[in-house]
Amino acid sequence: MTATFINRQVDRDRFVVKLQHIDWTFCALLAAIAGVGAIVLYSIAGGSWSPWAAKHLILFGFCFVAMVLLATVDPRVWFTAAYPVYGVGLLMLLAVAVMGHSTMGAKRWLDLGPIRLQPSEIVKVGLVLALARFYQGLDPSKARLSWRLLIPAALIGAPAALVAHQPDLGTAILIAATGGLMMILAGLSLPLAGAVLAAVAAATPVAFAFVLKPYQRARLLTFLHPEADRSGSGYHIIQSKIALGSGGALGKGFGLGTQSQLNFLPEKSTDFIFSSMAEEFGFLGCVSVLALYAGVIYLGLRIASNAYSHFARMAAAGTIITFSMCVLINGAMVMGLAPVVGVPMPLLSFGGTVMITMMAGFALVLSAKVHRYSEVGSGRGSIV
Amino acid sequence: MSRSPLLLDEVNERQGLFARRTVLFGGLAGAGLLALGGRLVQLQLLEADKYAVLSEHNEFDFQLTPPPRGLILDRHGVVLASNRPDFRLLLAKDESVDVDRVLASLSELMPIDDGRMRRLRAEIEAAPRRQPIAVVEDMSWEEFSRVNVRAPELPGVTADMGEVRVYPFSAAFAHVVGYVAKVSAKDITKTGPNSEPILLNPGFRIGKQGIEKSYDLQLRGKPGARKVEVDVKGRVVRKDPQGDIPSVPGSPIRLTLDADIQNRALEVFGADSGAAVMMDCRSGEVLCLFSAPSFDANAFVRGVSGPDYRALAEYERKPLFNKALTATYPPGSTFKTMVALAALERGVDPSRSYTCHKHWFWGGRSWGCDKAHGTLDLKGAIAQSCDIYFYQLALSIGPDPIARVARFFGLGQKHDIGIPGQKVGLVPDTAYKRRAFPRDPVWHPGETPSMGIGQGYVSVNALQLCIQAARLANGRVALEPRLVQSVGDVAQVSTVQPPELPFAQDHLAFIREAMTAVVTSGTAAHVADLGLGPIRMAGKTGTAQSHNYGAGSHGSHGAQGAWDQRDHAWFIAFAPYDDPRYAMSVLVEHGGFGADAAAPKAAQIMKVALLKDPQVRARIVQPIPTSAPGPAPQTRLKSA
Repeated sequence: MTATFINRQVDRDRFVVKLQHIDWTFCALLAAIAGVGAIVLYSIAGGSWSPWAAKHLILFGFCFVAMVLLATVDPRVWFTAAYPVYGVGLLMLLAVAVMGHSTMGAKRWLDLGPIRLQPSEIVKVGLVLALARFYQGLDPSKARLSWRLLIPAALIGAPAALVAHQPDLGTAILIAATGGLMMILAGLSLPLAGAVLAAVAAATPVAFAFVLKPYQRARLLTFLHPEADRSGSGYHIIQSKIALGSGGALGKGFGLGTQSQLNFLPEKSTDFIFSSMAEEFGFLGCVSVLALYAGVIYLGLRIASNAYSHFARMAAAGTIITFSMCVLINGAMVMGLAPVVGVPMPLLSFGGTVMITMMAGFALVLSAKVHRYSEVGSGRGSIV
Repeated sequence: MSRSPLLLDEVNERQGLFARRTVLFGGLAGAGLLALGGRLVQLQLLEADKYAVLSEHNEFDFQLTPPPRGLILDRHGVVLASNRPDFRLLLAKDESVDVDRVLASLSELMPIDDGRMRRLRAEIEAAPRRQPIAVVEDMSWEEFSRVNVRAPELPGVTADMGEVRVYPFSAAFAHVVGYVAKVSAKDITKTGPNSEPILLNPGFRIGKQGIEKSYDLQLRGKPGARKVEVDVKGRVVRKDPQGDIPSVPGSPIRLTLDADIQNRALEVFGADSGAAVMMDCRSGEVLCLFSAPSFDANAFVRGVSGPDYRALAEYERKPLFNKALTATYPPGSTFKTMVALAALERGVDPSRSYTCHKHWFWGGRSWGCDKAHGTLDLKGAIAQSCDIYFYQLALSIGPDPIARVARFFGLGQKHDIGIPGQKVGLVPDTAYKRRAFPRDPVWHPGETPSMGIGQGYVSVNALQLCIQAARLANGRVALEPRLVQSVGDVAQVSTVQPPELPFAQDHLAFIREAMTAVVTSGTAAHVADLGLGPIRMAGKTGTAQSHNYGAGSHGSHGAQGAWDQRDHAWFIAFAPYDDPRYAMSVLVEHGGFGADAAAPKAAQIMKVALLKDPQVRARIVQPIPTSAPGPAPQTRLKSA
């Protein structure tokens, strides 16, 4: 590479110097969101650190340190690890399909003694890495339209299909959308993307009738007519809207959310935590939290654009895409704009694996900033 | 380093494309966030009020609180029905409650027998979700605290203090005041007051008999509501006393009854079967309305078990039956007062005599009498209750004049005293025969002698006979009985002036004199003695056949034979004979002769009323003669 960029290579490799190059604003935004999460979790537990708030903070702290440390790892390590991580994730998905632990009628968890892993979360990171690595090595002219693009399509399709089989439609859509968007960012022909989207839209009614499980169909129907089934499937959406709406402009106040405190709001600590927050902190709180999310997305995309290596760009962008998709889908769901699907609000929702993988993704983003001048191998073994 | 500049350009172009598409994606994500923000504006700013209301509906629940039931009092304010605190356990079933397990743990803490357990299960099964059911009521304090200590092991069970009806005189007023009992499915109507949700409240009871039933709505009051914060499972999290709506207590009802007289009637009857009714013959107020044997009304409040109920229902003396109102009997010889008055009104001379030889042959058959009375005039015939005299007297005037008089004295009519289930009885006449017997619409002369002695078609209830006695005693107006003195603070006074009795005063006075003779020298001599000196009672005995005897068969007549084959004994009376204040009728079912069975009871009960009356007492207690040393006051009262 051009000499001006790579003088004082040794200096840049020093750990302390790397720490200085970490985007601390980005980190602060993440901590702020997790902090809000902890406050809400503390409140809805009736003003108690257990069972959620303390765990949430401890896990975030642990992940935060890990994220910072991982951010100093040379992108080449990530590059090398990309396919193996993806492979492990995929294998675990297969394992879940064969012998997974079933909760609420869906096989999503892999029981490994004390730890229960949700492989669909790991495969999200694996997919981002694998796609980034693939595009790093792809001839730029082929990224637009070529038979070689069947490879990323397969990389996306395999985990999406396995996750959909669990069945976890929300995560499957999330994986497919993230992968598709990464392909578009990498240069996929927009007319082709549009055609695929149109085909998916056309296939939806067919899938609705033949592929979806009855409960998934019910959820979709419920989304369309939530008032039709107040106590059953429509309950989640109605109660969530009541929590949001009754929060009003300024909220009911810390610890005073009746919808969450009295358990009218289902899944108040996980999928519907945004509604819990909205009830107590109102429109002002919601907009502030959405602004924090917008800040993370903006900074993340800027970091991605400024990275020198395509691998780092793609990995960082992939993470941010996953993150923004989660935020938008969960937001739309709790506000009654989308069907109820099991997608949590990143960093705000309580939940172990999601936090770990999301923070691992942010490590990629930070790493892309720290190593923005570095190039990784082209996939043919050459290190610049 | 092996790359060509061209490749570098390609690389730069790749970065450029990535950057442009990243901006595109960033824009889309931003637009998505803005859309969420817009939705938040709609939900949290524009529609916030609507959702605030919905949230409030979720959060708060109004639990009905039953109002205290109105008291029932006697004329002097003695409490006949009130409420006492009741420690009870409520069980609200929802998904998280294992009913069988809870009941099993409960039965370890207190005995619940199998029958009760079965009824409980059925009740819980039928109850709507989260509707609390009173599982155990009337717990002792020890049981209550024992359960409270073990509350964590009993999910869905809450201890609570309610109110339950209590009848201090458990049996004396069981028929007239009635009782309340648990609401059964058939009590609940689609509309009207019995459709109100308060009826589903655990432990709520409604009037099932007597005054409790007919004045149920007035006694019930209006339920209040307790504002409580509930969680999603409907469990109460917090109470909000400021939001409570107070209940309106039921109106107290004051009856005209006198508890002392009523209780005396209960004592006097003992195990005998029958009824006693007493009226004030100046005002028509009912002082006593008693049916014997009685039962414990409090048992019905708790709920009577199947075997206990069957035992009561199948007992031959029919304790559940209000014999003062809902049973009719032939009036027997008490009806002779009516026949005599009818005869006087028809111009029969009271000195008209007939001779009684114990048997009288007429119409091809023999008509009997108790004994050979010899020759009697009208007064003697009433005093001796000679049947043979009245057979002939009745024949001489015919059925219609007798029926007319009987109706003026309240027989054959319903008298509304506010208690349902009165039987009207029958006063027959020629018109009745025409109406009721289309195949044989003719009054046969052979039917008249029976009517003359209060048998045959004639039937009355005890209240009607008391009214008859009261109107005879009053002599001027056709008094109507009155049982309810006031509801709340509103006096229940009839606005209708009672009609005058269209009979000659000297004729009525004659009947009263004859009734006095019944007690002094006639059939009830010695047995109806009050022992109150100048205060004496007048009356008329009656012995009514309880069934049709076979022709000429007198085998089980009177007080002999199996209990249910004996005659019914009647006694009607008023006192004091010279200044009538109280009138009464006493029925002793299968008691045998009226003089032996009913008259002493009437005297005992009447005595209470007379002794309570200050003006009567003033007549009994004479001023102490100053010349002679008087005996002790107590003896003086008796001997005066």
